[in-house]
Amino acid sequence: MNTRRHTTRLDDQLERLGAAAVMEGVGRGVMDRIATAGRALLLFIDACSYLPQARRSLTAIIRQLEIAGFGSILVLALIAGLTGMIMSFQIGNELAKIGPDATANLGAIIGATFCREMGPLWAGVIVLARVGASMAAELGTMAVNEEVDALRMMNISPVRYLVMPRILALVIAMPLLTTIADWVGLLGGAMIAKAQFDISLNTFMSSAQDFLKGADFFSGLFKSVVFGAIIGTIACDRGLNTTGGAEGVGRSTTDSVVLNVIFILLADFVLTALINQVVGSGATNV
Amino acid sequence: MSSSHGTEVFLNRQTLEAPVTLAPVPEGKTTLIRLREVSKHFGARHILRGITFNIYKGETLAIIGGSGSGKTTLLRHLMGMLRPDDGNVMIGDLDLGRATPAQIDSYRAKLGVVFQSAALLGSLNVYENVGLPLIEVDQRPADEVHERVVAALHRVYLPASEILLLKPASLSGGMRKRVGIARAIIGNPEIMLYDEPTTGLDPVTVNGVNELTMELQRTLGVTSVVITHDLEAAFKIADRIAMLYLGRIIALGTPDEIRANPHPVLRQMLTGSTTGPLTEAYRKA
Repeated sequence: MNTRRHTTRLDDQLERLGAAAVMEGVGRGVMDRIATAGRALLLFIDACSYLPQARRSLTAIIRQLEIAGFGSILVLALIAGLTGMIMSFQIGNELAKIGPDATANLGAIIGATFCREMGPLWAGVIVLARVGASMAAELGTMAVNEEVDALRMMNISPVRYLVMPRILALVIAMPLLTTIADWVGLLGGAMIAKAQFDISLNTFMSSAQDFLKGADFFSGLFKSVVFGAIIGTIACDRGLNTTGGAEGVGRSTTDSVVLNVIFILLADFVLTALINQVVGSGATNV
Repeated sequence: MSSSHGTEVFLNRQTLEAPVTLAPVPEGKTTLIRLREVSKHFGARHILRGITFNIYKGETLAIIGGSGSGKTTLLRHLMGMLRPDDGNVMIGDLDLGRATPAQIDSYRAKLGVVFQSAALLGSLNVYENVGLPLIEVDQRPADEVHERVVAALHRVYLPASEILLLKPASLSGGMRKRVGIARAIIGNPEIMLYDEPTTGLDPVTVNGVNELTMELQRTLGVTSVVITHDLEAAFKIADRIAMLYLGRIIALGTPDEIRANPHPVLRQMLTGSTTGPLTEAYRKA
């Protein structure tokens, strides 16, 4: 009996210890993310201080624009188009249950969803996965190969030479990619609207045009600029702080993707709340 | 422990790790770099433990030591990339541990650093790599950059016209190292720091890099600090050799003095024996 009670108490203690370890792990994880955000913010401010010298880095900026922008267009267009088509199917079916007049609003719903959320978010996800990860890996490899140290020893600031052109290129590329995602998403939706619900392209686009306001489109573009700055800053921060050889490069690349997803969704939430505060409950008057 | 080297005195661990005492500056020599009681911790690990020595103007000093002895940490202090927890790294009147970023930049403008991996930027070609400090920092005109890049490459015996537009990935290890040296000397440095310049190279290339180091020292009159595992290279190129053991300088002298030094750590390093205090230190580490 005594032995059993003793065992139960031991189990309780172990359980408590386990819970404590989990809590400690979660706490450490949260603190690490906050520390990363703080360090990334300082890196961003540092990179901004080199913006007046951007002309000197024009070649690097154009090269990064080519990688970030042109390289992402095809995959982004594919994903945005498919998303528009899926949304058109799903929302169209629900609207059809209400009545034929309701399906005429399909263009407005898909347009608003893409301009406000899906366009910038998909552009962000594609760029963080494709370009952000590659930036973290490239800078991480440079850090472990002492190339970043070599730059410092030549009195070349790695922030000016490596970070600023990358962030600036993403800040320029993201609104362009978002615009493409918005249009391709709308066209994908329009194709299904025609094929499935017999809504003409003209009706679909007119519905979107009547419903949407400039603020819808520009709020999405503003978000995309912020996402571009976040992706570039976190990817560069992870890359420059890489240690531990090839394993460290892999870790930095993964960290860059995970942190970017977290911070982009957080930023999206904050920006949506702010835009709603500034413009009203939604950019358009629903 | 061999008594023929008179090593009985080193049986005690404290005497084994005892740092060398600071010798007076020889006549005709000027001290360029002074390290005084330099200590550095990384967490609980005590990497440098009161390093004190002088580096004379115009000399080549090789710093040897086993893995984990603190060689790279010491070099990073000389580069101004690490600040000591205690003690001073003085370059003339400038205390690197307390220097402002502008003073560090000004010091680095006089430095040439050759990295272990050459540290050439993979996205740039040879011309852009070697000319990088002139293009990015000094913003010299293109024709001057070209002229100086070609001259630097010739100085390290590389066929400039053939390799100018090649990326580092298409060069051999020895050529990459030479390009790294060309980049280091293009700004006419007063101090050259070499981090394991011959690691991973074949014997012929090692010899070539050693001769190049000696020639640069002779022709440019620079003060050189070479961190190396390669004892043959150290004895060939150095005016003086310092032995680092567990974060302390335990021997310092001319190559002949080092050869004659009976310190058991030094003896083990020189003979490459697998038993002795160095191996014990690795086991503990």
